[in-house]
Amino acid sequence: MGWKFDQPLYCLSDEQEQKETLELWEKQKFGGLSSGNNRLPFPLTFLIALIVMTAFLVTMPIWGQRPNAQIYTSFVAAMDDPQVQQLATPEEKIAYVTQQAMAQADGVLQGAIERHPLAWDDLLNIAPQIKELQASGSKYSLDNYNVVGDRIALANFEGNFVEGGHRERKQPWWDKGYTIDVFYVAYFMIAIVLITKQLPHFSRKPDMSNAK
Amino acid sequence: MAFQRYKFGAAGIGLMFGFSMSITLFGPANDFRSGVSTWVGLDKQLSLGRVIGFSYEDPLVIGDGKPIVVILDKDPKTGAAIDPPQRAYVYSAGIKFSPGVNHPELLGPGVRDLSEGKGQIAQANMATGAVFTIGKDEFNGEELDYIVNATAVSGWTPAEVLSAAGDENMRYVGKGKTIYITEGCWWCHTLLPEQTQDWQFFGAPPFLGDMNGEMPTAFGSDRKAPDLLHVASRNSSREWMTMHFFNPRLVQPNSIMPRFDYLWGKKDASGNTIDFKKWRADYTAYVNGKTIYPPEVPEPARTAEVRALIDWVLTSLR
Amino acid sequence: MLMKYLFAKNEEIPAGSATIFFGFSSIFWFVVGTGLGSFNAAKLAFPDWVTGTELFAFGHMRQVHVLAVILGWISMAFGMTMMYMTPALGNTKLWSEKLGLWTVFMWNVGLSLGLTLLWMGITSGREYSDLIWPIDLVVIFGVLLPLGINVWMTISHRKTQGIYITNWFFGACIFMLMIVFFVGNSPELFNLTGLTEAYLTFWFAHNVLGLWITPVAAAIAYYTIPKLTGNPLYSHRIGHLHFWSIIAFYSTPASHHLMSAPLPEWLKSFASVEGVLILIPAVAFVANILLTMKGKWSLFVENIETKFSITGVLLAIPLNMQGGFQQTRAINWYVHGTGWIVAHAHLALLGMSSFLEAAAVYFGLQQMLRRKLYSLTLANLHYWFFIIGFCTYWISMTIAGLMQGAGKIYEVPYIDVVVAEHPYMIARWAGGTMVFTGNVIWLYNMWMTAREGTIVPSGRYAHELAYER
Repeated sequence: MGWKFDQPLYCLSDEQEQKETLELWEKQKFGGLSSGNNRLPFPLTFLIALIVMTAFLVTMPIWGQRPNAQIYTSFVAAMDDPQVQQLATPEEKIAYVTQQAMAQADGVLQGAIERHPLAWDDLLNIAPQIKELQASGSKYSLDNYNVVGDRIALANFEGNFVEGGHRERKQPWWDKGYTIDVFYVAYFMIAIVLITKQLPHFSRKPDMSNAK
Repeated sequence: MAFQRYKFGAAGIGLMFGFSMSITLFGPANDFRSGVSTWVGLDKQLSLGRVIGFSYEDPLVIGDGKPIVVILDKDPKTGAAIDPPQRAYVYSAGIKFSPGVNHPELLGPGVRDLSEGKGQIAQANMATGAVFTIGKDEFNGEELDYIVNATAVSGWTPAEVLSAAGDENMRYVGKGKTIYITEGCWWCHTLLPEQTQDWQFFGAPPFLGDMNGEMPTAFGSDRKAPDLLHVASRNSSREWMTMHFFNPRLVQPNSIMPRFDYLWGKKDASGNTIDFKKWRADYTAYVNGKTIYPPEVPEPARTAEVRALIDWVLTSLR
Repeated sequence: MLMKYLFAKNEEIPAGSATIFFGFSSIFWFVVGTGLGSFNAAKLAFPDWVTGTELFAFGHMRQVHVLAVILGWISMAFGMTMMYMTPALGNTKLWSEKLGLWTVFMWNVGLSLGLTLLWMGITSGREYSDLIWPIDLVVIFGVLLPLGINVWMTISHRKTQGIYITNWFFGACIFMLMIVFFVGNSPELFNLTGLTEAYLTFWFAHNVLGLWITPVAAAIAYYTIPKLTGNPLYSHRIGHLHFWSIIAFYSTPASHHLMSAPLPEWLKSFASVEGVLILIPAVAFVANILLTMKGKWSLFVENIETKFSITGVLLAIPLNMQGGFQQTRAINWYVHGTGWIVAHAHLALLGMSSFLEAAAVYFGLQQMLRRKLYSLTLANLHYWFFIIGFCTYWISMTIAGLMQGAGKIYEVPYIDVVVAEHPYMIARWAGGTMVFTGNVIWLYNMWMTAREGTIVPSGRYAHELAYER
């Protein structure tokens, strides 16, 4: 049963092929990552670069961020406009309010409003909470509050310490996890070059001098 | 020749794996510690006890060794009315306390100080049992909920509270969640509404501090059925729940939920043996259009598992 | 026979015994696991099918199906491949056949016990780490540690100078799995609670997949494809790129399972980026294997083991494209918690991973039994039942998941989604049943191979011989 383990294995690839592999390994520079046969093929390195770029672009924290209360302050200001009262349907009302808000907003805020559209009923739900927060003089600014469904709640995100001894709850568009990742990937790239360079080829002839 | 290189490789594995572990374990552990318990969090841990699922006190996972939640409308000591009714968490002698009582650091800064100071939780003694309530007070300018050891503060003993309340005010929440776990409800129902339009049906997702001291959280990941985190806010009818658990198709013809009639046990509320065979036959007749009304669902007994399950759903999932 | 060898002297146990016991156990658990899966699927399609007893309730069987497949079939197939590939790649004998046999014995006993308890409802209530902590300790110290010792000692007693990429994976993955098992179950062992518990549950669930199931399956392909085709691996260095990027990137994205839980946002951002970066090992792996096939693509049609293996590799492409992107915030909100994820999980375990392992179990058992496969026809039947059943399952669940996602976003009453999903639930059941049928055929085929397969002469490979049936 089984192979005969104490004899060299029967191998389907011929002697010549094995020899070539070995020679190429010996002559390669930089651990073979950039030269010789069987270097990482260009399409592969290209794909890897593409993946790294894509990874950072599609996961930028702005995609899928919860809306903060700050976005809707201009909505709340505009909703009491007498012109809004004259509009018949909720759809028209919210369209008008959004338009007003967009007109006042700068580029970043416009993007945020576009990513987090609001229905008129939702606005009715959150408006009193926003007004209350504005009046309360909380130590957190409005962009530290998330709009979660019909509730406005302090974000569950632990940010940097700010003046006054508390941590801000604002989710930046470029946050700590993202920064860690930049370094993490950079270290990995250095490490992988070093490691593959250090490793001898698996098919080197067995050194039997120490064998029992 | 090359063995040194392999040592290098082995060290590399340790280094790389250790690096990723420290980011994904130590980093968040630091942040979790600052989660301040909310009322929901305190209510959950006090009503569930030390741990749900397999443990020393409950090796067969049938809901042994869990506290009882009692809805109090009058003070058991003085008889004074409590309005609105308050929840008291009764740990009879020998029942293990919830994690926050034994390890107050889990409650988060502020809540810990209040619970240890005004709440006197350090005086709770497992050998004699204790009754807890949730109090509210100001700490450094913030309104916080904290645990009150009512046995030390107001002199309530477990036996007094239980007898003052009576069975109709007792809620077997810990046992109920145990059944939720063993029956695998969480394979289809989640306890985690998402941050999208989901809330319009299922309510807000859980907040930081909503699960301090809870084990297991049983968020679930695979949703074949509605989210349950706030189910009792949508539907708080005990009759509906009873029918739905016995045979979901009685109230929702298209439901694919299994029947949980086996949670009724052998006897119903009045001590009669439940004739499941007859019920099934009657139900089949009803489904086939031979009778107009479905058979009556038996009233669950006081100690039936389904009673505890409904208690949990209606008390905790609000 | 197992009992006899458990107490025999190590030298008296024929080489390959551990492989054979592992191999047959894994196929047995595959039959059990897929059978339960098919039964469960039937209950989702026809909820009134078998009722009235908790023993056949969906909630009591679902986790048994999952763990029978993960710990029974997949992990035991891994154990089996480790028992024959590690020594073969080191040109040496397995360090201890006896330890290997004890491992397979402990594994079967521990798993049967754990699954029976789970079936009865004795659970820790934590997804994928449902096994109660005493069983977890049995898994760590009774199964993984002996398996690890055997593999590590075999590697260090090798008679070749280099370590082939497969052995890098084997050695490192057992080590990491032990750590993952211990840390992932620490909430039960040390009563950690709350968000920590929730996070560690999914840290475990993700890392078991990322550091055990996918990489070891890939490691197996690094052995089987060169062996079966006779081509040397295209590049050992791309293999190393795969290996190291698995350790770096696949061990981190756990929190993407809990995007809507109150975890720190930086952790979610970190996990999202890492989640996309798992495409690096994926690209390295798929490219390496497909380039190795150069000039031997006819074997994809002619050779049953290659057919299984390459199917698995090809399924890794959609698997990683889905996996990489579905976890980003921008897509996760749509598909999270829906049947899409169920389809994805089956693509990983039943698709990519199981096909690769099936190839290795076919190959290894023939090799260690020194017998040619009993029947090619049955093997082909197995393959086609498997692939058609799997595709039916995968496609129907993907469609169901997309409907569920749409229902979630467009505020459709939940029950309407359930009604709309019904046909796909039936398709799911049909697909699962086909896979199960295929596996029954396989078990029979392998059993007959052991009894009646043509004897393979010394120094030859089974796949060089012609089939008789």
